[in-house]
Amino acid sequence: MGQVSLRGIRKSYGTVDVIKGVDLEVQDGEFMVFVGPSGCGKSTTLRMIAGLESITAGELWIDGDRANQMRPSDRGTAMVFQSYALYPHMTVAENMGFALRMAGVAKPERARQVGRAAEILRITELLARFPRELSGGQRQRVAIGRAIVRKPRVFLFDEPLSNLDASLRVDMRIELTRLHAELGATMIYVTHDQVEAMTMGDRIALFHQGRIAQLGAPLELYNRPATEFVASFLGAPRINLIDRPGAAAPAAHQALWQRLASAAGGSVQRLGVRPEHLQVLPSGEGVPATIVLAEHLGDCSILHVRVDGIGSLLNVKVASTGARGSSGEAIGLAVEGGAVLAFDAQQGRVA
Amino acid sequence: MRLRSRFRLTPAWTPYVLILPFLLLFLVFNLFPLLFSLFLAFHSWEPTSGLTAMQFVGFDNFGFALGDEWFWKSLRNTLWMALASGVPQHLVAIPLACFVHSALRRGRDWVVGAFFLPYITSTVAIAILFSALFSTDYGLINLGLQGLRHLPLIGAAFPAEPVDWMGRPEYIKPAISLVVFWRYLGFNMVLYLAALQTIPGDLYEAARLDGAGPLRQFWFITLPSLKPMIFFAVTLSVIGGLQLFEEPFILTGGRGGSDQAGMSTAIYLYRMAFDFNDFGAASAMSWLLFFLVAALTALTNRAFRARGPAS
Repeated sequence: MGQVSLRGIRKSYGTVDVIKGVDLEVQDGEFMVFVGPSGCGKSTTLRMIAGLESITAGELWIDGDRANQMRPSDRGTAMVFQSYALYPHMTVAENMGFALRMAGVAKPERARQVGRAAEILRITELLARFPRELSGGQRQRVAIGRAIVRKPRVFLFDEPLSNLDASLRVDMRIELTRLHAELGATMIYVTHDQVEAMTMGDRIALFHQGRIAQLGAPLELYNRPATEFVASFLGAPRINLIDRPGAAAPAAHQALWQRLASAAGGSVQRLGVRPEHLQVLPSGEGVPATIVLAEHLGDCSILHVRVDGIGSLLNVKVASTGARGSSGEAIGLAVEGGAVLAFDAQQGRVA
Repeated sequence: MRLRSRFRLTPAWTPYVLILPFLLLFLVFNLFPLLFSLFLAFHSWEPTSGLTAMQFVGFDNFGFALGDEWFWKSLRNTLWMALASGVPQHLVAIPLACFVHSALRRGRDWVVGAFFLPYITSTVAIAILFSALFSTDYGLINLGLQGLRHLPLIGAAFPAEPVDWMGRPEYIKPAISLVVFWRYLGFNMVLYLAALQTIPGDLYEAARLDGAGPLRQFWFITLPSLKPMIFFAVTLSVIGGLQLFEEPFILTGGRGGSDQAGMSTAIYLYRMAFDFNDFGAASAMSWLLFFLVAALTALTNRAFRARGPAS
């Protein structure tokens, strides 16, 4: 069991409202990702579930029990901190067994449970060491192990991978996904990294200014974002947003809008098109544009392209072009059909 | 022009010239007395007879010191007062620092300043203040004790007569210890406060999630995290306590009090040199005291050795 319900959860510090009403049902065994820019309230919400922050208003239910006033250790949750928060003066085994020790579990039983968790994480050989003797990745494993030992109904992760280097992050991402499958426990995972959000979550709750901007499966958020904010937060490079051209706008801007807006009604103020849905044509065909900067990443190339009349550069992601595409080059742009998002004046998606 | 350039400092010499004032003072007032006292410890010398009156006597001075009843008495006095003033310093300073750290926000600097003030106040001023407080007939301490005597039930536990704090041998050491404790409490508190501020807050959060209440957080997180600072502060207390001089010297009028009850080793070796004119024995005693300080510091170091392999 590990069902978490947030009903109208609010958090205020004095007169400052940080969380402005969050409603969320996390299913048993689900991998739920909280994602959003810094200061959006995702960590605060997680800490309220953990019991490290008080809940100003609203109700928190864990497995059918109202948990607002429960002590953190009684909630059946375990948390993995961004900084790992390992006790520096205790060995790995003592770190992992600390919660059991606090709960009055006898020493042999503690050793047995710590040993099992260590096996799951393949850190048995580290048990006698101190945190300072471990690498960042090993510390991360120990922190996860400390959570596992408590056999929580809900795992809470607060940006656990952000202190690791890039390649280790990929490894741990896969490892955590494997762990989720193996343990079958509910996991709530806070991150600002959209790759982690897209790849790990069963569902994503995208936070924006103290509210959930959209809740849904990763691809649903990517393909059918509810708002401009969601559309531009998910996806790298960022989605291209093109304003409705005025009557006096340059011809290229008008032409691009015409190609994109075939389906768009009169309320559409802005169109969004993902970088991978723009195509590069030889100069003279399509909408005329100029390459300002080309980033060749090997497997693909990101072209930053200027279209006359559009304030910001457009991002175009194309399969690796080899030598093609250098700055200053004139090209034409085309759009894949059916891949355009339309937003109204309130930044909501209309098509 | 030529003259000027000849006196110009070259970059190679500049550091040595700049460090020279310190070096000179160190040589004259630290290194020379150190070596001279080592030299004197093996000589008999009465300074009034001039420098030529020195005579090499081997280990005689050390033998004399070790056979001297008063030297041992002064050592016992010193240890007594070092323990009585030193142990409570830390037992009180640590919880006090924790309280100030966690409970006080506004006015915290004032509180810390108030506790630190005795440490930077002149010993003479402190001695005068406490002489007044300890005074038999007019002192506030005796007045307070007399007041407590009127309490029901526990009143009988307090003395009926005013206590002659600085006159009766059995009261001198506690009185001096109290002054020393009071004087260094704030200093230790500041040390512990600084250490407390370096403990990451998420350790406490993790401990809360692991089910540790405030007391067990203190025991399992705060105390172990403070260990390096406790080692440092206790080492300072050991060294300072064994070299105890100023407070008992001034409170007992420079003689050690009745029955030498307040005579620390430092006072005794000072008197040995300047009252009894035996500089050789005084030097030998000072080196014996040094070895004691070194041994106890090493013991402290052993007691606080970090668990597990050093990183």
